[in-house]
Amino acid sequence: MAQLVPNLLRQEVARLAEQDARIDGRERFEGRDFTLETDCLYNAEGSAKVTMGKTVVYAGVKFEIRTPWPDRPAEGSLMCGAELRPVAHRKYEPGPPSPESIELGRVVDRGIRESGCIDMNSLCIIPGEKVWGVMIDIHVLSDGGNIFDACGLAAIAALRTAVVPAERFDVGEDYTLPVKGTPIMASFTRVGGRYIYDPCEEEELGGDERIHITIGDEGHLHSLQKGLRGVFTPAEFAEIFKVAQNKCAELRKVVAEKEAN
Amino acid sequence: MGGYGDVQLLREDGLRLDGRKVDEMRPVSIQAGILPAADGSAMVTHGLNVAVAAVYGPMEAHPRKIQRQDRAVIDVRYNMAPFSTSDRIRPGFNRRSREISKVTAESLESVVLVERYPRAKIRVEIEILAAEAGTRCAGITAASVALADAGIPMRDMIVGVASGKIEGTVVLDLDKAEDNYGQADLPVGILPNTGEIAFLQMDGDLSPEEYDLAMEYNFKAAGEIHEIMVEALRARYEESEN
Repeated sequence: MAQLVPNLLRQEVARLAEQDARIDGRERFEGRDFTLETDCLYNAEGSAKVTMGKTVVYAGVKFEIRTPWPDRPAEGSLMCGAELRPVAHRKYEPGPPSPESIELGRVVDRGIRESGCIDMNSLCIIPGEKVWGVMIDIHVLSDGGNIFDACGLAAIAALRTAVVPAERFDVGEDYTLPVKGTPIMASFTRVGGRYIYDPCEEEELGGDERIHITIGDEGHLHSLQKGLRGVFTPAEFAEIFKVAQNKCAELRKVVAEKEAN
Repeated sequence: MGGYGDVQLLREDGLRLDGRKVDEMRPVSIQAGILPAADGSAMVTHGLNVAVAAVYGPMEAHPRKIQRQDRAVIDVRYNMAPFSTSDRIRPGFNRRSREISKVTAESLESVVLVERYPRAKIRVEIEILAAEAGTRCAGITAASVALADAGIPMRDMIVGVASGKIEGTVVLDLDKAEDNYGQADLPVGILPNTGEIAFLQMDGDLSPEEYDLAMEYNFKAAGEIHEIMVEALRARYEESEN
């Protein structure tokens, strides 16, 4: 039974792929409608809600004061974690963090960290004694496909609205966290033999491997990840990389517009 | 209860710090059907609290040892998001969330017609996104609307409300400061149509008279919240008709 539905879906998406069609009627590289909302959670120092099709995720930023690592006395830290809790889909079960949720959190973490958008030295309060630890927690509430892109977008949007709660910790006045840049992720899944952008739930179920590309403001790559079973050719990557450049630039513009308002 | 004593929670004019009257509730808004992956869902905003509930099922109950031959089991998980409180909380279950999950499940089992689904499981997931005192009540209210949204037959919904005592005065719906420095908290789950109580907890210090007054406030507030719950479900059905 567990394999029956994926197999039927697999046949269906393969049939559609022959006509270069998708199960929900989109073009091959067309994303779903999405919404972005920021500053939406009262107790988080920065927050964002993203919906993409049937996917709903929230991200919240919290700060804590910690002692710096001995070899990096003037650097704060950044941590990004994702939770795939049973609320998000009937397939998720309670228990310790699954490999899937660890991968998700780490891929989003790498894209943000490696883009260098947070200067770790700016998180120093007293060198060798006190630094800020920044924690981005991502909460997936509804998994309708492509949670990676939704989580990446929510995480960076939340981070960019974060206010450092210095007053509450008695170390000065509150200030907006300096974030230089907006790394954005674009994800592709092989469905019916070719890569499509922004897979929906059915395409993930009836598809194969996926590739996640995070791109920074200058168009540079900051994180890549291939997940699930399958292989791809350099030509295939070149094609989706070009698409990813455009998609990421578009999404970055949406984040900037959101902030301008 | 904190019982610090030196924090003033009632103003000279008899109003509370946030300007509410003693029997005044924080604003409540409810949306049904907000999570597309779930069979039923709801979001309850109660003051600054935000609770989301998702319902999955009825489905096969596994592991099999949790199955009941004559009825469905309701599996509730109450969980606070790491960013829901002032200080971040480490992800994962703790003793508090386990207890709240257990008593919430038991109260929901008393209104859902569980005997219609022998050997099945109904999963209720409660996620607290913002916590400012009163999350278990907001969670029960959200769970009830989500169960109704999922089309699961119930005798009645449950409305989660709380009253308490600050500076010797009984007040409806404690906020964060009142919860921290107040003298008593009485969260209940009320069946608005039958007037029965399915959920009850209390801590602090209440005289019998104070208990009666707190319950009176709770029932009055439950009626108000129930109207908002029904309105949320009606809006959901009207939306799905179009």
